[in-house]
Amino acid sequence: MEPFIVRYRNLLVLLALLAVQIVGLATQVHKTDTGRMSLDPRDSGSVRLLRLWAEAVVAPPERLFHFGGSSFTDLWRNYVDLRHVREQNQQLQQTVDRLRFEQAALLEDARQGQRLQGLFNFQQQYLYKTLAAQVIGSSGAAQSRVFYIDKGSSDGLQHDMAVISPAGIVGKVRDVFPHTSQILVINDQSSGAGVILETTRIRGILRGNALGQPQIVSIISDNRIKPGERVLTAGGDQIFPRGLPVGVVDKVVRDPERDGFINVIVKPYAALDRLDEVLVITSMEPRFPPDQQQDMAESEAIKGAEVQQEEAQKKASQIMAERLPGLIDPNLPADQQPLNDSTPPPPVVHTVQPLRPDRFTPGNATGVTSGQTSAPANSTPSRTP
Amino acid sequence: MPVLTATSRREIEVHRFPVLVYALVPLAALVLQAWLPRVLGRYAWFDLPLVVVVYFAMGRPSPIQGTIMGCILGIFEDALTQHAIGINGVAKTIVGFLSSSFGIRLDVENHTVRVLLTLALSLVSSGLYFFVYRILLGLSMEWDWINTLFIALGNTVVALILFPFLDRFRIRD
Repeated sequence: MEPFIVRYRNLLVLLALLAVQIVGLATQVHKTDTGRMSLDPRDSGSVRLLRLWAEAVVAPPERLFHFGGSSFTDLWRNYVDLRHVREQNQQLQQTVDRLRFEQAALLEDARQGQRLQGLFNFQQQYLYKTLAAQVIGSSGAAQSRVFYIDKGSSDGLQHDMAVISPAGIVGKVRDVFPHTSQILVINDQSSGAGVILETTRIRGILRGNALGQPQIVSIISDNRIKPGERVLTAGGDQIFPRGLPVGVVDKVVRDPERDGFINVIVKPYAALDRLDEVLVITSMEPRFPPDQQQDMAESEAIKGAEVQQEEAQKKASQIMAERLPGLIDPNLPADQQPLNDSTPPPPVVHTVQPLRPDRFTPGNATGVTSGQTSAPANSTPSRTP
Repeated sequence: MPVLTATSRREIEVHRFPVLVYALVPLAALVLQAWLPRVLGRYAWFDLPLVVVVYFAMGRPSPIQGTIMGCILGIFEDALTQHAIGINGVAKTIVGFLSSSFGIRLDVENHTVRVLLTLALSLVSSGLYFFVYRILLGLSMEWDWINTLFIALGNTVVALILFPFLDRFRIRD
């Protein structure tokens, strides 16, 4: 009789592997305050290590694929050239083919040049500090809308930095590796960006649906929302700066989970499925164009001169105050000097002097006894007829 | 039925490959799966690691190898996403086990059987992924079943091309 372990080893291996993975999964989710399960936003050390290994294995070939495209074209062209040498009778046709390849390659180069020029121009006029990056790969899973770029922590990228394109927002940096980064796109179901409808000023949260369309979820039904309305970032999520273009309203659908609520499907400005270059906002500190920077420098210089003048005036008044005897008492310590006394002075009472002395005027009451009628000081004495 | 004649272990033909094929083909599948969606966009209806797991697992008499290969490739795929690691791992572990189990019982030399098996196991894999994500972990997620069907059909087409190609690397006794 075969031992139990030998007999059921296939099943035991399967169960062991499943058990290990399920335990591992259990450590990666947690219950939120609302009672719903959620993935941990930050990976634990072991999970991050696995992602790092996977990225280290996949990223180099992806880079090769990406940057070796032109090399492959060259290789192919050389191959065609070799065939051209061997087969003289097809010389003309192959020359035409080669020129077509060259034309296609040049056209592609020109398109890439135009794209990069556009990106560069956009970067120059853009207010925030950005870093251009090339898209080199994706997750490969239908349920996960993330992609990888060729810039990482060595280039200064950090978690939760906004990723944009000249057309509109793209996503945010989810994970950073030394030379690459994982970008969570706005049409993923786990993404979230604060947005606002430009005309109706209705705010909401943008996230992806199962079809990979970005949608503003759980908005109270409102007839004013019409297709074609522009959607901008609201700026409240601490990731995307306010006012960046997101897309336009494509259609409005009912929220299947809640009555009276709607989801607004958004057609993004950025081609999220076919991105080649993106910009990562590395600093939210405003970065102004050269002419504005010059204006600001001049303003700063003027302001600095004014501040210096004010400081000089303050210093002069301080010296003057030190020389005035009433403001500095040599018998008192420095912190009790009248000069440093910040308590408000007592109010000055201006007493109106009466034309004739009376008993109501302060200071004159003592000169008048009860029952007497005071005589005016400047009155003439009464005469007896 | 001639298709289902592998009833004894003697009749089972074990597929053997050079070690390089075992190492490079899964790696190439992972890299292409990560790179091709960039080129094809939303039309990347295939899961190359799954097709590779099914192919190699079907050719081995022991389900252990298919199970381990499915586990490794699944975890690898998970590591490239932002999701929890193990969702694809569980799905492909079971798919690897089932492929090997079917490989013992069915005539996997028959192309129709292999292709139909790939179609069925693709749907099983998606179903398992959905089960782990929604039921086991309790995470909320919308699911597009039409896209799932397209991916299964895409895997079938890939299998039609890839399986005869990989058969060329098989070591003949």
